[in-house]
Amino acid sequence: MTSSDRPRPPFDRRQFLLRSSALGAAGLSLPAILAACGGDDDEDASTGAAGGTSETTGATSAGTGGASTPGGGGGDELFFENWPEYIDPTEDGLTGTADRFIEASGVQLRYTDAFNDNNEYFALIQPQLGTGGTIEPDIIAPTSWLAGRLISLGWVDKLPVDQVPNATNLRADLRQPSWDPTGEYSLPWQTGITGIAYNLDATGRELASVEELFDPAFRGRIGMLSEMRDTIGLIMLGLGADPASITSFDDAAAAFEQLVAAKADGQIRAFTGNDYLDDLSTGNFAACIGWSGDVVQLARDNPAVRFVIPEEGGMSWADTMVMPKGAVNRDAAAKWMDYVYDPVQAAQITAWVQFVSPVTGVQEEVAKLDAELAESPLLFPDEETLSRLHSFANLEEDVEAEFDAAFSDIIGA
Amino acid sequence: MSTVGVERGGDPARSSTHRDELVGLVALIAAGVLITAVGMRLLTGPLATLAVAGLLAIVATLIVMAIAGGPQARRRLAPYGLLKPGILWLALFYLAPLFALARESLSTLPSRFAVEAEFDWNTGNYAQAFSDFGPQFTRGFVYAAVATALCIAIGYPLAYVIAFRGGRWRNLLLGLVVVPFFTSYLIRTIAWSSLLADSGPIVGAIDGLRLTSVFEALQIMDNDRLINTPAAVIGGLTYNFLPFMILPIYVSLEKINPALVDAAKDLYSPAPSAFRRIVLPLSLPGVFAGTLLTFIPAAGDFINAEYLGNPNTTMIGNSIQDQFLVQNDRPLAAAMSFVLMAVITVAVFFYTKFLGTEELS
Amino acid sequence: MSAPTSGRGQIARWGLNAYAALGLIYLFVPIAWIVWFSFNQPAGRYNIVWQRFTLDNWTDPFANSDLTGAFVESLKIAAISTSIATVLGSLIAVALSRYSFRGASGLNLFLVLPLTTPEIVLGSSLATLFFDWDVSRGFTTVIIAHVMFQVSFVALTVRARVRGFDWTLELAAQDLGATPMRTFWKITFPLILPGILAAALLSFALSIDDFIITLFNAGSLSTFPLYINGSFRVQFPPQANVLATMVLVASVGLLMVGVVRSSRRNASDR
Repeated sequence: MTSSDRPRPPFDRRQFLLRSSALGAAGLSLPAILAACGGDDDEDASTGAAGGTSETTGATSAGTGGASTPGGGGGDELFFENWPEYIDPTEDGLTGTADRFIEASGVQLRYTDAFNDNNEYFALIQPQLGTGGTIEPDIIAPTSWLAGRLISLGWVDKLPVDQVPNATNLRADLRQPSWDPTGEYSLPWQTGITGIAYNLDATGRELASVEELFDPAFRGRIGMLSEMRDTIGLIMLGLGADPASITSFDDAAAAFEQLVAAKADGQIRAFTGNDYLDDLSTGNFAACIGWSGDVVQLARDNPAVRFVIPEEGGMSWADTMVMPKGAVNRDAAAKWMDYVYDPVQAAQITAWVQFVSPVTGVQEEVAKLDAELAESPLLFPDEETLSRLHSFANLEEDVEAEFDAAFSDIIGA
Repeated sequence: MSTVGVERGGDPARSSTHRDELVGLVALIAAGVLITAVGMRLLTGPLATLAVAGLLAIVATLIVMAIAGGPQARRRLAPYGLLKPGILWLALFYLAPLFALARESLSTLPSRFAVEAEFDWNTGNYAQAFSDFGPQFTRGFVYAAVATALCIAIGYPLAYVIAFRGGRWRNLLLGLVVVPFFTSYLIRTIAWSSLLADSGPIVGAIDGLRLTSVFEALQIMDNDRLINTPAAVIGGLTYNFLPFMILPIYVSLEKINPALVDAAKDLYSPAPSAFRRIVLPLSLPGVFAGTLLTFIPAAGDFINAEYLGNPNTTMIGNSIQDQFLVQNDRPLAAAMSFVLMAVITVAVFFYTKFLGTEELS
Repeated sequence: MSAPTSGRGQIARWGLNAYAALGLIYLFVPIAWIVWFSFNQPAGRYNIVWQRFTLDNWTDPFANSDLTGAFVESLKIAAISTSIATVLGSLIAVALSRYSFRGASGLNLFLVLPLTTPEIVLGSSLATLFFDWDVSRGFTTVIIAHVMFQVSFVALTVRARVRGFDWTLELAAQDLGATPMRTFWKITFPLILPGILAAALLSFALSIDDFIITLFNAGSLSTFPLYINGSFRVQFPPQANVLATMVLVASVGLLMVGVVRSSRRNASDR
C-alpha cells in the first residue's frame, strides 16, 4: 500500500460541494419567490373549509344548462360560506334548499359550513380584507355585530338589492337595523333567541330564571356560550339591566363581576360554541345558555331537554348575509337571496333549522308542512314573547375592545 | 466521529488548512446573516437585492476556491458546502421569524383591526404579558413540571427494563414505545376525553371500587368528575410526551457497558446501591435531554387544556393562541411568546445547575 | 447481566418488570380506544360514547369527504416536506459526522435550537414572518414550516445513526480502484441508508401529526388534525378513527419490516 502516508481525497468533494452549492443557490432564490408570491396572492386568498362539513352536492352534475361564463358579475357560480347545520340538507328523500336552488336557477352553488366562530373567522379574513385584498366566498353570514364591524371597516360591498324583489318580504323589525343603518349591506339569514337550555333529568326541576344558572346545586355542571353578547346579555337581564342601552363598560360591570365569581367558584364547566348540545343531552351540563333552534331540534329526539326564555328576558340575535368586498358573482348572489326570501323556500329552511325566519309569510307556509311546528312560539314568537326579547347594543370600537378583553380574560383564553 | 485524511506535514499545509476552514466558516456565517437580515426585512428594496447578490457571490467564491484550491481545499470546504442548504433554510425560517416576532413584540397596532403593527420600541406589551397572564404562565409551568416528573417516574423504569432486560426484543419494544406516536395527537387526546368522561370506564371503575372520595381528597377528581380537571390536563400532557422521555433515557442507558454494572454490583453489593452510584449518574444526560424534550413543549401546549380542562385550567399556550388567532393582538402574543421562552430558559438553567451538583455529590 | 438469586431480589426484579409492563400498557390504552371505537356506531355526531359494534365505518371509510380531503392534504404535505427535509438534514448529518471542522459545536447547538423552542413560538413567529412578507398562508407556508422543524430532527437522528460509521471504508474502496461516485453509491449510501430512512419515517409521522405549527400557518387550508379540531364543535366522526387506525397499521407494518430486516442482518453478520 503505497499511499498510506499521502492523504487521499476519499472521493470527489467537488461533486458534493457543487451539488450542495446548487441546492444552496436554489434555497437563496426563496426570498425572491416569496416576494413574488406576496404581490399577487389573490388566487391564494381563499377562506375555504378550515374544518367544516361541506353540504354541497354535485353542483357539476346538476348542470341544467349552467355553462359558466368567464368571470364578470354575471357568473354562474356562487360561493356561500355559512355556519354549520344552518340549512336543510338533502336526505331521507327530501331535496335540500341548496340543491333545489341549483336545479331551479342553474347557478353552481358552492355551499360550505366552515364558519365556526365569529372572531376566528374575522382573524382568518383580516390579512386579505385588511390590506385591500379579496376572499373567495361571495356571501358570508356573520352574526350581526360582526357584520356591523365589517360594514364600518368598509370590508363589504353593497348588496344588489335592486335585483332581489323578495327583499320586501323582510320582517319589518329587521329593516335598517342598528348594525346596518342604511340596510344596503346585509340581509338576515336567520334570527334566533338565546335562552336557557336544560336537561330535566339532570336538574330535577324546571328552570325559569337566569339566576338559577348560578345555583350552587349545579356547581360544575353549567355551560355558557363563548359568544360574549349572548352570555353577558343574559346575565345583565338577570340582574335587571338592559343590554340594549349599553354605552360604556360600566353598564355591564356588575354582570362581569358575577361571571368572574361564578367561574372562580367552579360553577361553570365550560364555555362553548355550538358544542353544548352533546353535553346537554348526556347530562354533562345540567343547564346552559343556548340557542333556540338547536335546542328545539335536540328536544325532538330527547324529551328531557328543554328550552326556556328566562322570565327576566331573553336575547335576540341575527346572522346576516353580507358580501365581502370584491365578491364577483353579484348576479348569482342576488338570485340566491331572492330564492331564500321566497316564503315557500324559507319555510323549508325554517322547518329544518327551527330558528326564527327573517321572512314574513313563512308561518302559513310552514303550517302546510308541519302544523305543530307552525304553532311553536319559539319559531314564530307572538307579540308577548317578542316583548321579552332584547338585543345587544351596537358598541363603539373602543368600548367593544374593553368588553372583548374582559370577556376573553374570563373564558380563560 | 472519524475524520478522513488527517493532515500531516509542515506549516504551509496547516496554515492553508486554517485559512480554508476560516473562509468556509465565515462564508457560512455571513450567508446566514445576510439571509436572516433579508428575511427580517431589515434590508429591503435595493439593499435586499444587494444582499442576495452578496449571498450568491459567497457561494460562487466557495465553489471557485474548491475547484481551484485542489483536493485539500475541497476537503476543508466540503462540510461548509454540505451544511449550507440546511443552515440557510433554518436561518431564513427559524432565525428570521424569531427576529420578526421580537420586532412585533415591540410594536403597536395603529388601530384594533389593522393588519400591520408599527415598530416603536413599545415595551407595554411585555408589561401586559406579565400583568394580565400571570395565572396562565404559572399554570403552564406547574402542569408541565408535574407532567415531566410523572414522565420520569413512568418512563425511566420502562427505559431501564428495555435497555437492560430487553435482550433481543429491544428494538421491538422500542418500536412499541414509538408506535402510539403514529396516531394523531389530537385523536389521542380525544380518546382520553372519552375514557375519562363521566360515563366512561375509568370513572365507572373508580366509583365501583368506591375510591371516589379518595380521589376527590387528592384533588384528582372534582365533584365526581375526572375530566375537565387539572388532573386530566396533566394526565394528557404526561401521556402525550412520554415517548420523548423514554427514548433519550434509553439511549444513555444503552451506552452503559453491562460489564460495568456487573462490576459495580460486586463492589456495592445491594443492587440498588450499584444502581444509585453507577447507572443513575451515567443516565443523567439522558434524563436531562428527556426533560427538555418533555417540559418545553408541554409548557407551551394548549390542546390538552382545551379538550380535557375547564376555564380555570387554561395554560399560557391557550392565551397566546387566543391573542394571535382570535383577538388579533399579534404584538401582545409575540411578547407573551418571548416571555414564555425566557422563563423556560431560566428554568432550564436552574435545572442544569441542579443536575450538575447532583453529579458532584 | 447476572440475575439476582435472592428471593427479595427476585421479587424486586419481577416488580420492576411488571411496573414497566404497566407503563407500556398505559401507552397503548388510548390506541386501543381509537381502534375499538372505529367499530362504533355513534348515536349522534360524536363518536365518544359506545353504542354498538358495526363494520360500516370500515366498509365506507371515506364517507366524510371533507375529512378524507383533509387527510389527503396531510399526506401530500408530509410527503413533500419529508423529502425536502431528509435531503437537507442528511447533508448536514454527513457534514457533521464525517468531517471535523471549525464551528462544528456551534452549528450543533444551532441545530438543536428549533427542537427546544416551544411549538407555539415556532408557529407564531413563522406566521409573523409571512405576515411581514405579505405571503398568504396556505399549502406552501405549511410545507415551509414543516421542513423547518423536520430538518433539525432528521439531521440529529441521521447523525446519531451514522455515528459509528467507518469512513475509512471509502478509502479502502478507492484503493481498490473504485471511482468516487461508485464508492458513494455502492458503499457509503447503502450503509447510511437505514439511518436516513428511519429519520425520514419519523419525520413523516411528525408532519402528519403536527397541529400547533400548522394551525398558525395554514390559513384556510385543512389538514387532518386541523379538520378534526375545527369540526369538533359539531362532530367527531368514526371515520376519523378509521383513518387513524390505517396510519397506525401502516406504521406498525413498516416497523415490523424494519425490525425483521435488522435482526436478519444481525444474524447474518454473525
